[in-house]
Amino acid sequence: MIENVNATRMELLQLRKRVALASRGHRLLSEKRDEISRQLIKIARQIQPLRKRVEAQLLETCRRFMLARATMEPEDTKAALAVPTKKFALAVSFASIMNVKVPHLAKEMSGQIICYGFATTSGELDVALLALERAFDDLIELAEKEKQARLLAVELQMTRRRVNVLEHVVIPELHETIKFIFAKLAEAERDNTTRLMKITDIIRA
Amino acid sequence: MNDIAEQAELGGLDFYTYPPVGGEDWGYAFATAQVRAIETQMLSRAVLLDMANAQNFEDAADLLTASEYALPQGSRNFTEVENILKLRRSAVRKLFADLMIDEPIAELFRARDDFANMRLAIRRTLTEKPLGTDYSDDGNVAAEQFEQVFEQENYSLLPDYMQQAVGRAVLAYYQKKDIRQIDYAIDSVQAEYNLQKARQLESVFLLGLFRTRIDLTNIRTMLRLKFAESDQRSVFLSGGYIEQQRLKHGLDIGYEAVGALFFATPYYEVVESGVNYFVSNKSFLKLEQQCEEHLTGFLRTTLQITAGPQPVIAYLLMKENEIRTVRLILTAKNSALETKLILDCLGE
Repeated sequence: MIENVNATRMELLQLRKRVALASRGHRLLSEKRDEISRQLIKIARQIQPLRKRVEAQLLETCRRFMLARATMEPEDTKAALAVPTKKFALAVSFASIMNVKVPHLAKEMSGQIICYGFATTSGELDVALLALERAFDDLIELAEKEKQARLLAVELQMTRRRVNVLEHVVIPELHETIKFIFAKLAEAERDNTTRLMKITDIIRA
Repeated sequence: MNDIAEQAELGGLDFYTYPPVGGEDWGYAFATAQVRAIETQMLSRAVLLDMANAQNFEDAADLLTASEYALPQGSRNFTEVENILKLRRSAVRKLFADLMIDEPIAELFRARDDFANMRLAIRRTLTEKPLGTDYSDDGNVAAEQFEQVFEQENYSLLPDYMQQAVGRAVLAYYQKKDIRQIDYAIDSVQAEYNLQKARQLESVFLLGLFRTRIDLTNIRTMLRLKFAESDQRSVFLSGGYIEQQRLKHGLDIGYEAVGALFFATPYYEVVESGVNYFVSNKSFLKLEQQCEEHLTGFLRTTLQITAGPQPVIAYLLMKENEIRTVRLILTAKNSALETKLILDCLGE
């Protein structure tokens, strides 16, 4: 129950308005929570196979790269990879899902990923770099989805907490206070009636 | 000189598998005897296979304890392996330079590091990156001299072959503004320089070695271009036994027909097994192993030479190959790669 409340009709009317507002807020927040949950599940379902695919691609790339590095002379490896020619830029825009600003990543790549000659380098290096280039699309999509999922999860947690506070604390407290004021006013009403009856008895006597 | 002239004109069909290795030179009797003695200390195939089949990195490293690659007990890490392998390579190259009576041959093999250093220096210069000091010190030009030469752009301090390479690389880069052109130009100058030196030295063996290497590089390049679906056709090195037309034709046909294209050449086995492995595994490991095997096969034919520079050169190259193999196995074991993959790299 709300402490230090004035048990007046005015206060009762205000509290009734607050209850109506809190109930409407609770309903809206519950709907928001359900929608965010739905979106989150949808994204999580997309993330799982995507992550598996990216991990497999990166593992394969690393394996190939390690083999290439092992079969090449250290000076040749250094010379081949010292000055990369592939240029990579990432543009970030924001979309709104249930009022949550989630990032949308778009990549811009230019230049060749194979930036060396053929005489002193291993073919495995080509395979590794081309596999890495192919993995970029999935990698960026995964980064985007995981960030979206993280932001939605934070928002979901906050919304759920708000819904719970409204449902289990604010609305019951308001109801209790209303009940208290109603009881107080009824008590005052009975008190008044009793006093009037007593005065009437005194006058008659 | 007649031998050299004949060798220079040899086509792929004029020998069965390996080109001739030339005659004997009794000035190298001591050097050859020394090489024959230390050759016996090289790691046998059985040891390499045992390393490949070892459970883990520690077990593989344990198999090297009785060899010159022995790692200290206790804190074994991969940096230590790299250091030991670099030290062994420098020692082998120093021994080679000591055993070589003909200094130009030692210079010729040291030039490989010069070309590698130059690739790095030119790339850094043209892309306006710091020149650095991390150059190999095993070349004819000292590592610290590189930074000075490229900073001052005073290329006259470099040997002739390097000046030529710098000129061609810079020109090639500015013509297409493509960093890869630097490597293509340097590879081309290096191949030309090797052949020219071999002719000057009148070494049938060196000429055969470099022409075979050019062929193997071209074959690998052809398949790599096919894989990358690249339309570059002018990157093949000239001077090999295989005609460039055949290589260019290889770019236009399907993988299943590539082996047949080389049927009448000594590289049929190399190409056929390399392409089959590539088609099924999308990996160049087998092709590279087969190229190395072919070159090692050629180097082994120097066993018929009682005395001469050929066994000494063959020892250097086989020893370098051994060091690469040890690095490959230990890297693979350290990264827990599958044993089958390592065995594929080592060959049947």
